[in-house]
Amino acid sequence: MTKKLKYDLVAYALFAAVIFLAVPAYLNFEGYELNTFARYLSLGIVSLALALSWGTAGILNLGQAATFGMGSYAMAMHLKLKSSQGLPDFMSWNNVEELPWFWVPFHSLSFTLLAGLLIPASIGGIIAIFMFRARISGVFVAVITLAFLVAFQLLVIEQQGYTGGQNGLTGLAPLTLLGWTVDIYSLSFYYLIAACLFVAIMIGIYLVHSKFGLILRAIREDADRTRFFGYNVASYETAAFCISAALAGWSGMLYTLVLEFASPTYMSVSFSLAIVIWCAVGGRESIIAAAIGAIVVNLLEVRLSDVFVEGWNLILGVTFVLIVMFMPRGLHGVVAGANDWIARRKDSRVSNAKHSNLKSRPEIKGGQ
Amino acid sequence: MDLLEVTDLRVDFGGLRAVDGLNLNVSQGEILCLLGPNGAGKSTTLDLICGKTQLTSGSIRFDGHEISNIPEFKRVRYGIGRKFQVPSVFKELTVDENLQVARSKHSGLLQTLSKFRHRHSPEIERILELVGLETRRADMAGNLSHGETQWLEIAMLIAQDSKLILMDEPTAGMTIQETDKTARIFESLRKTHALIVVEHDMSFVRQVADRITVMAQGKKLAEGTVTEIENNEAVKSAYLGH
Ligand SMILES: Nc1ncnc2c1ncn2[C@@H]1O[C@H](COP(=O)(O)OP(=O)(O)OP(=O)(O)O)[C@@H](O)[C@H]1O
Ligand SMILES: [Mg+2]
Repeated sequence: MTKKLKYDLVAYALFAAVIFLAVPAYLNFEGYELNTFARYLSLGIVSLALALSWGTAGILNLGQAATFGMGSYAMAMHLKLKSSQGLPDFMSWNNVEELPWFWVPFHSLSFTLLAGLLIPASIGGIIAIFMFRARISGVFVAVITLAFLVAFQLLVIEQQGYTGGQNGLTGLAPLTLLGWTVDIYSLSFYYLIAACLFVAIMIGIYLVHSKFGLILRAIREDADRTRFFGYNVASYETAAFCISAALAGWSGMLYTLVLEFASPTYMSVSFSLAIVIWCAVGGRESIIAAAIGAIVVNLLEVRLSDVFVEGWNLILGVTFVLIVMFMPRGLHGVVAGANDWIARRKDSRVSNAKHSNLKSRPEIKGGQ
Repeated sequence: MDLLEVTDLRVDFGGLRAVDGLNLNVSQGEILCLLGPNGAGKSTTLDLICGKTQLTSGSIRFDGHEISNIPEFKRVRYGIGRKFQVPSVFKELTVDENLQVARSKHSGLLQTLSKFRHRHSPEIERILELVGLETRRADMAGNLSHGETQWLEIAMLIAQDSKLILMDEPTAGMTIQETDKTARIFESLRKTHALIVVEHDMSFVRQVADRITVMAQGKKLAEGTVTEIENNEAVKSAYLGH
């Protein structure tokens, strides 16, 4: 086992202990409080999804909110159909007389769950194939994905009759999962979301530590050199992009469950940039740190925005600038740096001891 | 049949014809040294063979396949490896990880996705010992000295285990002892690989070359054994400058 993997597994266990035991205990196993925390956990997944593409492969996807939104709407469509007798209310207000064909399969929960992962992955995949075949990289990827996000959000808002437009999808039914009707203010709901987060983190850790993850890091540093070792760089980048999109979709589905509605604001530029901030604050090189980043920033946002009602966005922006300038590797960088420092001190103590041995020998010789 | 057959190779960069009607053959187990003054088109020739640069006309056949129109990663999969003139390793990966990237017999997505990173492979151990980096395996490649970086890239090419290895100035910046060691390593590679080596160091070339091709201004000036080339008048005047 490599050292890095060991660190990740220890961090994973500690983090799991905090989320599964400490947090519920601190909040007195109280469903209402835990629901707020479950929201942060669901956002942790989209943040780690970005860490996978941005931190590992160097693909800065500023359109992450679009794939998040797709998952979120997929779930909302299912729950809306469940809550409506016949046609969803907003459709009749908009003179849509028949349920559109692409709404029909969302009656099925299995279809919905698959769609929430596969639709973002395939739409992301199409964009990715075009970008990466043409060897577009760096800031151009950021611009293209951002443009896609803006266009996609506009489309969703415009197509009011099919999407609920500006209002989004509200008045949703609770989810029924294998006969269990999910109460979002229950302890078990909190554990459901937490379990999803930890499965997602596990997937992320596996990917990062697989050879696939190693190749992504090689591509991040020097795509050309990686090509000359026989790797099809475009397909690696596309795969990373798709997996990241699917995880974002998953996150979106959970987010809809927690908040009980889907809104086009989930696909806004500011939300997408917020994801980048969470990921950067936590540390984009680590899956776990990125998830923690999302939780910490959102927690602070809720606490601090009460205090500085209007100033919060400003504080967030300034924090981001400071972090990029002084802590480019985020909280994770600070921890990893401290770790290295301790290891080096240990090393140097050992090698100092060796040095003094070496020094003393010639002296002995000289004396003879 | 030769492993590599390059016929009438030509490339234009704007007005400059960097490689002009070059013919080149390399057979299995052969070390061909490519000589020539600065700007002769040696690196460009390697670029054309490995696909870094697209040719303007001509043909490149490798191991029975016409490869002049396929993307670089596919050429690599047929068995062509490349060491660049400017040492290029992954500075943000450890020495060990660099070698794992280089071991690319199974470079497909599903193959790398299903492979969780294992720690020690005897093969990598052997290669690290061969180039003398066995104590640096956990270090970031960015912390290596220039000489060590050269070694690492050579080690990566050994790990990659291509049928044909293109080496661009492998001994640049090495001491005499290091150059000697490189020559010995190349000798040992000869049994199982073919090499094209671009070099300026004549004593190194004398040690390893089976055959020498001299280029000047994109064209082949002369070809032959070490003695033939050293006594060639055209080479003396164009390249050695007397
Ligand atoms: N991508 C390029 N675009 C334009 N001109 C190029 C390009 N690559 C090489 N050249 C030119 O082609 C000529 C041959 O260059 P090349 O690098 O192949 O020379 P070389 O024989 O390797 O020289 P050296 O011994 O200095 O490495 C030079 O004049 C160079 O400036
Ligand atoms: Mg050159």
